[in-house]
Amino acid sequence: MSRIPPETMAPTGVPAAGVAGGPTPVEQGAHVEVRDLTWRPFGRREPVLVGISLHLEAGSRVLLAGPSGSGKSTLLRALAGVLTATETGELSGSVLIDGSRSTGSSVGLLLQDPADALVAGRVGRDVAFGPESFGMPRDQIWSRVRSALVSVGFPYDQDHATSALSGGETQRLALAGVLALTPRLVLLDEPTSMLDPSSAAVVRQAIMSAVRASGATLVLVEHQLSDWVDEVDRLVVLDSTGRVSADGPVAATLATQADSLAAQGVWVPGVPAPGLLGVAGALCAPTLPGGHGGSSGSVLVWADSVSVTRRARASVMSANRPPRQVQALQDVCAEVRAGECVAVIGPSGAGKSTLTALLAGVDAPTRGRVRGRGELLVGMGASPPDAIHRWASGALAARFGWVPQQAEQAVVAATVRDDVLSTSRRLGRDDDAAQARVDGLLEVLGLSAVADADPHSLSGGELRRFALAGAIAHGPSVLVLDEPSVGQDRLTWSAVAGVVAAARDAGVGVVLATHDPLLIALADRRITLAAGRIIGPVAEQRPPGRLPTMPAPAGRFAGLAGRSGPLSLLVACIVLVCGAPFISDLRTALIACGIEIAVAPIVLGFARPPWRRLLPALFAVASVSFSNWLLSPGRELSAGGLAGLRVAFFVVPGVLLASRIDPSELGDHLGQRLGLPARPVVAAAAALYRFEGLGEHWDQLARIRRVRGLGPGRSPLGRIRSVVALTLGLLIETLRQAGRMAVAMEARGFSAAVTSATPRTWAEPAPWRPGDSLMLVLALLVAAMPLVLSQV
Amino acid sequence: MRWRGVDLITAAMLAVAFGVMFWGFDTLIYPFLSVLTAGFPPLGELMLGIWLIPAVVGALVVRRPGAAVFTELVAANVELFLGNKWGAAVLLSGVLQGLGVELALALFRHRRFGVAVAVLGGVLSAVFEIVFFEWQSYVADYSSAWKVIYLGCGMVSGAVVTGVGGLLLVRALARSGALNAFPPGQEIRESHPA
Repeated sequence: MSRIPPETMAPTGVPAAGVAGGPTPVEQGAHVEVRDLTWRPFGRREPVLVGISLHLEAGSRVLLAGPSGSGKSTLLRALAGVLTATETGELSGSVLIDGSRSTGSSVGLLLQDPADALVAGRVGRDVAFGPESFGMPRDQIWSRVRSALVSVGFPYDQDHATSALSGGETQRLALAGVLALTPRLVLLDEPTSMLDPSSAAVVRQAIMSAVRASGATLVLVEHQLSDWVDEVDRLVVLDSTGRVSADGPVAATLATQADSLAAQGVWVPGVPAPGLLGVAGALCAPTLPGGHGGSSGSVLVWADSVSVTRRARASVMSANRPPRQVQALQDVCAEVRAGECVAVIGPSGAGKSTLTALLAGVDAPTRGRVRGRGELLVGMGASPPDAIHRWASGALAARFGWVPQQAEQAVVAATVRDDVLSTSRRLGRDDDAAQARVDGLLEVLGLSAVADADPHSLSGGELRRFALAGAIAHGPSVLVLDEPSVGQDRLTWSAVAGVVAAARDAGVGVVLATHDPLLIALADRRITLAAGRIIGPVAEQRPPGRLPTMPAPAGRFAGLAGRSGPLSLLVACIVLVCGAPFISDLRTALIACGIEIAVAPIVLGFARPPWRRLLPALFAVASVSFSNWLLSPGRELSAGGLAGLRVAFFVVPGVLLASRIDPSELGDHLGQRLGLPARPVVAAAAALYRFEGLGEHWDQLARIRRVRGLGPGRSPLGRIRSVVALTLGLLIETLRQAGRMAVAMEARGFSAAVTSATPRTWAEPAPWRPGDSLMLVLALLVAAMPLVLSQV
Repeated sequence: MRWRGVDLITAAMLAVAFGVMFWGFDTLIYPFLSVLTAGFPPLGELMLGIWLIPAVVGALVVRRPGAAVFTELVAANVELFLGNKWGAAVLLSGVLQGLGVELALALFRHRRFGVAVAVLGGVLSAVFEIVFFEWQSYVADYSSAWKVIYLGCGMVSGAVVTGVGGLLLVRALARSGALNAFPPGQEIRESHPA
């Protein structure tokens, strides 16, 4: 066995350049030696991994399986050497990649949620992140980017916006980002679990062809083994205590240990689907004041030809982009009936989550209406609002339970039990009965052991079951679940499906959005969506279609600012700020602002000024004028006018010029032209891309709190309390997201330049053009005007 | 005291999250409050502390020199790119506000991170912002007495909203377990062993 000595790979960390047009072969996959690895995060009593020893031959392809919460993701992070990047705890034992502890660019890690890996606004730049971090020269970076995108069969060009990708496309993009480093060890965490079957097949094919072509060693975590057994040569199983319980060739291991593995919860191919766990109806029954829910079959919720059009929200990136409108749902009718389970199915991006959010009353349709009906309205008073999205938080919570697709967003309290109890408490239910029901549900869903734990410390599969418990514990009449079975093993699947069936049998109207064929089989009725519309009754899978996007307005002459880079625009803004204090009399102020207005067409072109963007600035100018008049010595009108013009002198051009700056280009310029340290600049740019996502997260937290009965209500105090809770919730999620981003970015070499001698490189140049010099000179001249005028 | 990758990413992400909240505040609440304080503008300065929070929170979470300036500057960039009412002047404000907090931490030699340093940080942040920038620009034509009153309102806001509020926020986040990778989270864990 030929091992590469660590000292030959450590100094540069840059593997050989790739060949354009295809996956880059590596000389050999990595050889992995794990010795007695044990890991206990601080704050957990039991270790997550116990005495793991593994020996992986170079080029082997390993499937890592095990029950929900058995430490599979943790082991992958340990192999990637990023376990301690964001977590603290007791770590013993060792992981050696080719005999070395330093991993460098030899290991590629793909996390559960590919969105955590996104660092840039355009596809090519995102894939380039790894090669940039390891200091590759620019021409090699782009050949790597091209070959990585080809190897995953990516359908769009390098300038495609990362925000406009479907789930499967994002997954392939993240995979390309990993492969661009030509890692010799590829680690993938549930790469297809959130995808519909056809997208999953595409991603699976991309993975296998890329790994085969490169010869890299592969370790893959998946729950559904059947699609993978033919692709891998070894199976390693972790048990619920974090130990290796089976290890060997796939076929032989499955043949000899099928029963014991299935009993542990592993989805062994060929073993019949698990039965439903018998769940007492009392744990899931509706508790509406009107009695035991509705009579079976009566309509509870009725969506009448609803459409949803999504508009791009305010964005730090919006300045240079046309506004996008997406038709997420079009003229869809749907009913939810008591005692019936309806499955909403269709490919990724078809509008399943949008429709389920409407049926749960947490979102409002753009057109059409979702109404409550019949028994659901009992106890609502004389004239309840027609549309359920207008119902008060308490009224909605008493009748609805909802689990969003991102189950981690469902957390509303500090411990699992308190969280699951919170809606019952808020609705003023009898506490003993509520406690008994919650304890029963936690027991059934296998969460008793973590009842006092922080929900955020749960694994992906556990979080989903926890969110299910929280949605049903108070006894809603309608239960709406978005992908409830993702990340579940056989045993926990049977518990989830058991709760769904028991709820239905107890008279609850259940709505499931799912890709899971076993769960779909459980449903009484199906609604099949494709591209936002209902299609025929037969389930049919097809690749996600592009949703219609509305055309953007055409561009006009953009003036000098259109020919300037971000740095000169920014410096121009700041120069004007520095010139403003020299405006000391009204005459100077009028002349200086007049000059600005005169040169405005040259700088900004002839486009109509963006009044909406200017409105806050004009408001600010007015308020400065007013307050300076009011509080000046002698209340002179001229003092107010002078103060207003002085502020207008730098604020108005500043707002207009800043709207032309692209944040990522600015990052490139700050790093290359000004030589600012690369890591802070790159971290800031990556974080700015999350702005929209965090804004959506705020909305989602508000929806969760409303459907859980924790909405703000009418009193000012309630509103303040709600804003405080949302603020804290957003910051907590921000910190969690930052931790996952840090793992993904470190795995792609974010801090590589700190430990090696190779500085980071930049995939795109930061040119300084004649327009930039012109812009700067012009700004200096205008800014110097007040000083010059005050001398004459 | 080298920054870890997670320090940089977390500080930047916190800043962007505050940017999201500032955006909501700027568009939904601030205009309303400004109208209320229009009759007596210095009262509006009692809200200044809200914009200084990222500096104190960044500094208390990451606890490295430069954290306050970095966090506040990234938050200012969010406002700049969204289109705010002061244009690029927010960047200058961001640096000044961050520097005020940095000075407070340096006075305590980066060894204390309790209520004293948080309040001093908030106050100095407000002083830097008002004395070095707002007196020159937004309130340049106030009489001297009003300028001092204006400064006083800003300092009170810096002490209460930024200092006390920021510290309470960091403690709440630490209790939630979200700061386990950072010193405040580790301190909480050490005081309540599992």
